[in-house]
Amino acid sequence: MTVLVAVEQVEKRFPLGGGNFYLALQDINLEIRQGEFVSFIGHSGCGKSTLLNLIAGLDRPTQGQVWVGGQPVQRPGPDRMVVFQNYSLLPWLTVWENVSLAVEEVLGHLSPAERRQVVQWHLDLVGLTAAKHKYPAQLSGGMKQRVAIARALAIRPEVLLLDEPFGALDALTRGHLQEQLLRICEEHQVTTVMVTHDVDEAVFLSDRIVMLTNGPGAQIGQILTVDIPRPRRRMEVVKHPSYYSLRSEVIYFLNQQKRIKNMRARSAKAIARHGLEKVNLEIGFVPLTACAPLAVAKEKGLFAKHGLDEVHLVRETSWRGIVDGLVGGYLDAAQTPAGLPVWLTLGGHQERPLPVVTSLTLTRNGNAITLARRFYDQGIHDAQSLRAYLHRQATPHILGMVHPASMHNLLLRYWLAAHGIDPDRDVQLRTIPPAQMVADLKAGTIDGYCVGEPWNLRAALEGIGFTVATDQELWLDHPGKVLGVREDWAMRYPNTHIALVKALLEACHYCAQPQHHEEIRHLLARREYLGTDVRYIQLGEPGKLTCDLHQPEYAHHRFYGEGLNRPSRTEHLWIMTQLARWGEVPFPRNWLEILERVCRVDTFTIAAREVGLLGTTQTSRSPIRLFDGSEFTSNQDPIDYLNHLAIKRDFSVAEIVLERPQVALS
Amino acid sequence: MVTAPSPRFRPIPWQEWRQRYAPQVIPPVVGIVGFLLVWQVLSVTGITRLPAPSALLTDENTRNLLLNPFFDRGGLDKGLFWQTMASLTRVVKGYLGAAVVGISLGILVGVNPIVNQALDPLFQFLRMIAPLAWVPITLIALPNVQTAAIFVIFITAVWPILINTAVGVQQIPQDYKNVAMVLQISPRKYFFKILLPAALPYIFTGLRIAIGLAWLAIIAAEIVMSGVVGIGFFIWDAYQQNYVSEVILAVIYIGAVGLILDRLVAWAQRLIVPQQ
Repeated sequence: MTVLVAVEQVEKRFPLGGGNFYLALQDINLEIRQGEFVSFIGHSGCGKSTLLNLIAGLDRPTQGQVWVGGQPVQRPGPDRMVVFQNYSLLPWLTVWENVSLAVEEVLGHLSPAERRQVVQWHLDLVGLTAAKHKYPAQLSGGMKQRVAIARALAIRPEVLLLDEPFGALDALTRGHLQEQLLRICEEHQVTTVMVTHDVDEAVFLSDRIVMLTNGPGAQIGQILTVDIPRPRRRMEVVKHPSYYSLRSEVIYFLNQQKRIKNMRARSAKAIARHGLEKVNLEIGFVPLTACAPLAVAKEKGLFAKHGLDEVHLVRETSWRGIVDGLVGGYLDAAQTPAGLPVWLTLGGHQERPLPVVTSLTLTRNGNAITLARRFYDQGIHDAQSLRAYLHRQATPHILGMVHPASMHNLLLRYWLAAHGIDPDRDVQLRTIPPAQMVADLKAGTIDGYCVGEPWNLRAALEGIGFTVATDQELWLDHPGKVLGVREDWAMRYPNTHIALVKALLEACHYCAQPQHHEEIRHLLARREYLGTDVRYIQLGEPGKLTCDLHQPEYAHHRFYGEGLNRPSRTEHLWIMTQLARWGEVPFPRNWLEILERVCRVDTFTIAAREVGLLGTTQTSRSPIRLFDGSEFTSNQDPIDYLNHLAIKRDFSVAEIVLERPQVALS
Repeated sequence: MVTAPSPRFRPIPWQEWRQRYAPQVIPPVVGIVGFLLVWQVLSVTGITRLPAPSALLTDENTRNLLLNPFFDRGGLDKGLFWQTMASLTRVVKGYLGAAVVGISLGILVGVNPIVNQALDPLFQFLRMIAPLAWVPITLIALPNVQTAAIFVIFITAVWPILINTAVGVQQIPQDYKNVAMVLQISPRKYFFKILLPAALPYIFTGLRIAIGLAWLAIIAAEIVMSGVVGIGFFIWDAYQQNYVSEVILAVIYIGAVGLILDRLVAWAQRLIVPQQ
């Protein structure tokens, strides 16, 4: 499909007087194809209407250019008809005259009879023939907006621009008009751009949703493709498996924008106390069994014991929330997947390297691969039979994982690749928040997933999936979650950092003691943590059975032990090779430097010594042993290792230049 | 189907009439009668030299004028109807001129910000000059008294029309302008379909203010420009000859005509301005 509207490098400033200006939009690039329905969504004042006006030509960009149909937009024109929020009907003209005025002006080449036909046809289209001799004042809001839509469509614009068209209408009318608009747009293949603040409206109507960040200097934060097939009917759309994930994606984005705004307004002030630089901490976590150390540290008063008496645990539903929190600076620390510190440091997030350090491994194991029950029923109980099955199928199967940098992604890919299944070609991997996995598996939108507990056990207990591989079949005692903080944060609050590691290390120790398991299970089942049935949460030694629906097994967590909590350079190096293997980030030529900076062994050692848990400080010199018998050691050449892997993407090796860590003067 | 009962003519009983109209009619009647009574008392007791209202009928000259407004004995000796008509003619001429010039200039000023900036100080300056102050200038500048009187009307009435029109044009909602821009409506059509209808309420506000001012001004102008037929001069003449009751009669005429003029413009407004 051809590109109809192109927005190139657009920036818009509004003069404020006195030489000042307000930067409304910056760095906007967007292409809209012929026949596409695109929505702009964002908080009020983010400049979405300004962007629409730029396309309409009612406003001119300060920099950059808007193209419509290959022509630069210089001024408004009937090829880009706008439907305004407040209808903009001329009150002294009747419905007919309002539409007719536009038709006469724009379609002047038609005969009067043909023009009358056009007007009549479009009034029929919006069902307003009966009201054609009424004045706008005699119409309801919904009817007025229908007249405005009829007027806009009657002049056959190339692009229909809608500026919050249904914003002022009541819910019932709005829903009705949305359906009408949808029908018209689908039937007549109208290219449409709509500004809205209604998430459901955007998902229901759009092919793509353009989400704008908050101003000043609003940018396109994200573009979401709505893969719900057309023609759409509201009830079908609502039931479509993607609907809720799309909806929650948009809401997530908007909430995130709000939080950033609040964060900016609040300017979280560090409260120094007890010889610590900052005792008010926001610590992010994702509801998983693996969050036990954080929950315990909070509930058992371990944070307070080490002087951190204003710790607030922030529950994020996805790892993306954690990433945004760390990047945006509104989380002080977070429980992160083991690969996240390396991934962020190497520029995995928006290709901007952000040094993040880890000084504690919170959990090991606790992850497993689950496949849908129908695989089990077809006798697919292991990777070999899965491979044979996949090679017979034409349509690619979809597997879920939680984040590109999580061990789930890396282990799942490794597991697949080790069995000759290319994780990008033979299957599709999709990023889904952990808590949503079971629902998606149930709905049949994914065929399996790799995720932390309790979501594997839950699928097994509910009989919708089965665990095909756990820790023991992958990499026994692999790192699961680690504590991640930004490097600049660690430099600014070194004593707080140590106190945090102390509190969490003690919590890990607590979690590892079997007599506490019952208590922790019930603690985690609570609403503010996992909010799930306690029987899905299991700790301790699992059974040895695999692939048995009647005897579900669970991945077991290890929270504490000799050599288990100390950040391991070897493990992070392995993670680096795997991230490079699948093209997530380039492999750093300066990997030694990166490892030194990511793994803060010094902080861990100080903390462990101070809480008297010295046993954990020993370095494990044994190599990493994976299920396929391969070994990985720290004195191995990682690039050589990468080159010897059979299935991989074209990885690149690059020097990752990190800024020198700087201590803020405060 | 229920048929509506056919309206039958039925004389409204006195009782009902009173209930319906009494609240509207009685207070103003009481007010006017009371006012006249006080006046009458004040005059009869000699507290004021002003003749009593009853003098309109008791004074012979005045009674003649009141009962026979249509006589015309040539020169300045005409009935009150003719006097009023002469004044009205002047007002109409000056007022129409003011309307044409005021609306056109107002639109020009409203549409074009640069013209607005250029002319606004001038307008504000000229607007502040009282109608009577124009009289000597016009008498010098213009060939005869008639034209001078019309010009005074014009110059008095033009400012409210002009300023209101300009505001009306400036206040056209951006939405309508956007619609016009997007549709690329021709200037002629923009003028008649959007600008004029949108500005009309403001224009009529200006016209209503102006008609009142014009009527005020003509009386003042005629008093000063002696020797013309007109109700203003009539008052002055009557005063000079000490026919005070005639003055009062003329004043009643002036008030009544002013009221009618205002109602007339209001009626035209209702007729022309689109109902929204």
